[in-house]
Amino acid sequence: MPSASLVFQSIVLGVLLGGLYALLAAGLTLYFGVMRVVMIAHSAFLILAAYLAWYAHRETGVDPLLTLLVTVPLFFVAGVAMQRLLLTRLRPATLTMMSVLLTFSVALVIEGLLGYAFSGTQRRIRLGYSSASLEFFGARVAVVKLIAFGLAAAALLGLYLLMRHSRFGQALRATIQHREAAALVGIDTDRIAGYGFGLGLATAAVGGTALSLDTTIYPSLHWHWIGPLMAIIVVGGLGSVPGAAIAAMALGMTQSLLQLELSTTWAQTVFYVALFATLAVRPQGFFGGRLAQRF
Amino acid sequence: MSTTQRLSWRVAALASATALTAAGCGSGGGSEDSPDDPITIGVSLPLTGDFSEPGKGVERGYKAWAKIVNDKGGLLGRKVELKILDDQSNADRVVSDYEQLIGRDQVDLVLGPFSTRLVVPAARVAEEYGLLFVEPAGAAPEVFDQGFKNLFYAAPAVANDHYNHLADYILALPEAERPKSVAYAAMDDPFAQGTAYGLKDKLEKGGIKTVVDEVYPPNTTDFGSIAAQIASSKADMVVGGSQYQDGVNLIVALQQLNYQPKMAAFSTAPTEPEFAKAIGDKTEGILAPTGYTQHADYPSNKEFVEKYTEQFGKAPEEDEANAYTTGQVVAAAVEAAKCASQDEECQQKLVKWLRGNEVETVVGPLKWDDKGRPQSAHMIQQWVDGEIQIVLPEEQKEADLVHPKPKW
Repeated sequence: MPSASLVFQSIVLGVLLGGLYALLAAGLTLYFGVMRVVMIAHSAFLILAAYLAWYAHRETGVDPLLTLLVTVPLFFVAGVAMQRLLLTRLRPATLTMMSVLLTFSVALVIEGLLGYAFSGTQRRIRLGYSSASLEFFGARVAVVKLIAFGLAAAALLGLYLLMRHSRFGQALRATIQHREAAALVGIDTDRIAGYGFGLGLATAAVGGTALSLDTTIYPSLHWHWIGPLMAIIVVGGLGSVPGAAIAAMALGMTQSLLQLELSTTWAQTVFYVALFATLAVRPQGFFGGRLAQRF
Repeated sequence: MSTTQRLSWRVAALASATALTAAGCGSGGGSEDSPDDPITIGVSLPLTGDFSEPGKGVERGYKAWAKIVNDKGGLLGRKVELKILDDQSNADRVVSDYEQLIGRDQVDLVLGPFSTRLVVPAARVAEEYGLLFVEPAGAAPEVFDQGFKNLFYAAPAVANDHYNHLADYILALPEAERPKSVAYAAMDDPFAQGTAYGLKDKLEKGGIKTVVDEVYPPNTTDFGSIAAQIASSKADMVVGGSQYQDGVNLIVALQQLNYQPKMAAFSTAPTEPEFAKAIGDKTEGILAPTGYTQHADYPSNKEFVEKYTEQFGKAPEEDEANAYTTGQVVAAAVEAAKCASQDEECQQKLVKWLRGNEVETVVGPLKWDDKGRPQSAHMIQQWVDGEIQIVLPEEQKEADLVHPKPKW
């Protein structure tokens, strides 16, 4: 029987992990919500952002968080370009399926370029506060994990406010709910879809930077992430950002607590068990309500 | 471009064209053992794909070996020529590569590839043709369970014996200083797990309690929970059966939880050149087993380090040294048996000689049991004063083992 302090420590770790998962999955759910695009390359962009943060830190010594000033706008533009130049060329009837193939190849290209530019050597950002931690009611909270969690919270809150309280957000939500109707009331849905994609990719810049603070990175790392992230957005309800956030929290916490009694291998399968159960019992997801209808 | 330069270009082009034609005609003609013919040695290596980093290291080691041998006049007075194919880290390709090298190219000798996953299928081909198979990279127990009769692993020890010197050291400590409880975390991989469990078996026999025993899959990226269990157990010692990224991630996760063991040992990660860059100044006192060090004062190692550095611009690491050792072992057998060709009699002489003799190498003297397992142990290194130094065994040590380890 694990001690109370270990359980509490695991809950703290689970919350931090869940926050990071929520941030990483947010973009995926946006793409699917706006355009029915299954974006396999999302995690490759995460690793790309992590590499950019690592590279900038190695070359100039700047704090990786400062790279956000460059990577967030850069990824936004790249997202808009990717949507306008590549994804719009796919036929609407087969969009979802073909987007898997298209973004799969984008992921391979990113992985290849990272390997070419930085080699397969595993890298880690060396920060003065990498191993620093704070005491929190008897549990230890790592500073880098706290920063990553803060980034996730800020990015998700920003996303929420943008979606709820800006004209762009309203237009994006309208496009998500009913594209034709949105077009009829005068929304330029093509442009909105482009911006929506850019927004999703901008979250990848934030997520990748958060990831870079506390992980060893290498070009093929993205394959380890795409599975759990896909599971999260399906459980959360495809297209629902709050659904993905709740699912990410729940799964992160479950994984962390299961590890106390079961082995790591079993704890990791929680994603796939949840994915399977969701598809079998409630294919529209547990937290998002009807498929992609709500934000 | 000057005239002489242009001329030399032409000569080079002509020469290579002639060489190509000669090679074209030569194949299928069979190889006669004339004293002027080079000894051709076939290797397949993962130059691309998953194992390309270590694969290229092994390639450099083989090339350094061939150059040093040739500079001294070759083997049995004949030059050594390497024929290296790329198997793309693919177990099917490695089989067809060795089939091609042995069957079509009629190489005189073969050397092993990198990684257990490729060594086993490659060894099967060599065994089928009755060729001696010395390899630089199969430390996992399963390599030696296949019943190979011609296989020799050219390194000091198999995975389970990597921590032997450390086990002896711990069990010899006075009761009061000896760690009473140990936490083990190992990757689900025959090599990594083998190292940790070798130590676990010995310490448990010596009465030291195991308080955590975690196995994690190779794709684990989050080590928070494993670290939390280890920290909560307050074990006196932590042992990681790790490769690189998991070892680093686990160490940082343990540091984040402010866990301060009296002893910490991790395989592979601490000996990599990237390790200190990843962890910074928090490496002090971390122990690791290693099969090779540039500082070992075996005579051939000094020569290897010097000439390798001349050739490649930096000092060799463990992968390069393993390949070089493989070359040395084969060379010793060839010199003793006075033959180097595919015919059965010669290959059997080589195998028989290695079975009964000891070979001086860059990792020290090596000899093998009847399954090809080397009969030594790895050295133990420790981060002392910001540098990784040999602390065990006594004869090789550069610094005293620091125990208990300083806080990290």
